[in-house]
Amino acid sequence: MIEPFFFGPGDEQLFATYHPPATGHARLLTVICPPLFSEYMRTQLVLRELAITLADRGQHVLRFDYRGTGDSFGDLAEVAISDWLEDILLAIREGRDLSGSTMVQLVGVRAGALLACKAAGASDDVQRVVLWDPVPDGAQYLQILRRVQVAILKRNRYLSRVERRQVMREQDGHCLPARMAEEFRSLDERAYAGVSTHKLHVVSTSPAAGFSVQGVSLDEAQFACNWETPTEDQVLPQPVLERLTACLTLP
Amino acid sequence: MPDPTLTEEPLQFGEGGRLFGILTLPSASPGTARELPVFVFLSAGALHRVGPARLHVRLARELARMGFSSLRVDLAGTGDSPPRPGLTNQESVAADGKEIVGVLDSRLGELPLVLAGLCSGADNAIRLTPGQPRVIGMVLLDPICFPDDGFEARAAVQKYMNPVRYIAWLQRRFKASEMPREEKEGNDDSADYLAIRDLPTREQLRAAFVSLRQRGGRALSVFTQYALPYYNQSGQLDRILGVDGYRQSCTELFWPRAEHTYPLELHRLRLIEEITTWARGYIGP
Repeated sequence: MIEPFFFGPGDEQLFATYHPPATGHARLLTVICPPLFSEYMRTQLVLRELAITLADRGQHVLRFDYRGTGDSFGDLAEVAISDWLEDILLAIREGRDLSGSTMVQLVGVRAGALLACKAAGASDDVQRVVLWDPVPDGAQYLQILRRVQVAILKRNRYLSRVERRQVMREQDGHCLPARMAEEFRSLDERAYAGVSTHKLHVVSTSPAAGFSVQGVSLDEAQFACNWETPTEDQVLPQPVLERLTACLTLP
Repeated sequence: MPDPTLTEEPLQFGEGGRLFGILTLPSASPGTARELPVFVFLSAGALHRVGPARLHVRLARELARMGFSSLRVDLAGTGDSPPRPGLTNQESVAADGKEIVGVLDSRLGELPLVLAGLCSGADNAIRLTPGQPRVIGMVLLDPICFPDDGFEARAAVQKYMNPVRYIAWLQRRFKASEMPREEKEGNDDSADYLAIRDLPTREQLRAAFVSLRQRGGRALSVFTQYALPYYNQSGQLDRILGVDGYRQSCTELFWPRAEHTYPLELHRLRLIEEITTWARGYIGP
């Protein structure tokens, strides 16, 4: 049975769902750092499945929404990347308090991978960081969002000139504040390099994309996620789920 | 809690705590004795209670600032609500409906309800309304409709008189001539939602509006370009329903420039404004 709750500072609480372990005496907590925007919607089911699977295997698991996303409080227009980094640290702390766990591992998906590594990957409190299709860096991620926006616009041929000017300012259908865009640009691959290679595992559905850090365990999952497709249809990638579970249940 | 005008509470309710939802409550209602209806946002398709691009969350909080309570819920088999084994979709939704009403009764008392949904969420709102006497409103985003007498003629005119269509055709031809064959064949990533929906029948659709009318209820229906295969003019739903008093109590909007799940913030803002303006009708002067 899951335990949903709000936590964090009174002025901008975060929403989280805790999955207790199926068996007692669990010491390991997994915190799932979700992707953003349409990718968040597309992966909701599979990340829930991952949480259930890990809990069945005896782990404490915490899923949460960054402020300004999902069920958490906050308005995206007023959020900064630094807020999201803080949210990850808050989620880890909350998960540890709730579970009593002494060991923590993170799952980071897409831009959530970059955030997870930047926030906590280097921390001694985090024993393992598993990434699913991590974005290369913040600047390239903004370009991805831009391409998704262009794809949405191609479907919307009937916008007036004024409307078109307005939507050109959106990224993947969201208005990102200027500060957030700047902070993304400054988030480069050093976020990944800051995590010890022995802690880092990457599950990739497009191995041709590679990964900026050498010597990292890289698993390929045969599934086409088509991240740049402008849709909120769910991805249900069983091969990815299997590879993530395998990485997260390594002794 | 963060916003002084509202509070939110996660709920797990129904048999075995199966259903999951988030209850949004205004901190203070407008200073009238009237009991405002509770909005119930039904999950759409495989999307969870948050709604496309967080639409349900934003609506719930905007409505709370106006004094409305709401529940955004994962119907069984979506989001954090596991499926009900051995039931058809319609049986499962009917069971969900009873449990939703039950938890709202226990938390808020027997208040009137407005069912809101997009796509299959709209289908479910239509199915639930006749059997739930406290439903006095529906907000339907891309509900089903049926062609009226002028539908085919309008469709032909729209198809052949639209210059944007020809420009787009030329662009596609040009692009296709340069595209490798494999990419051409696998190019359509869109899901055909219409083909996979468990659509209400014409009788069920009419029954929902008749019930609403008998209760003095109201409805807001918004059709986007998604509905073009079966709907292409504002007023068409009125004509095919033939329900007395429809125009006095029902608002029907046709937004052919908007997409089914409102992927552009521009269109979402317009929709939120439309729904909150419509909701203001319950508050009165």
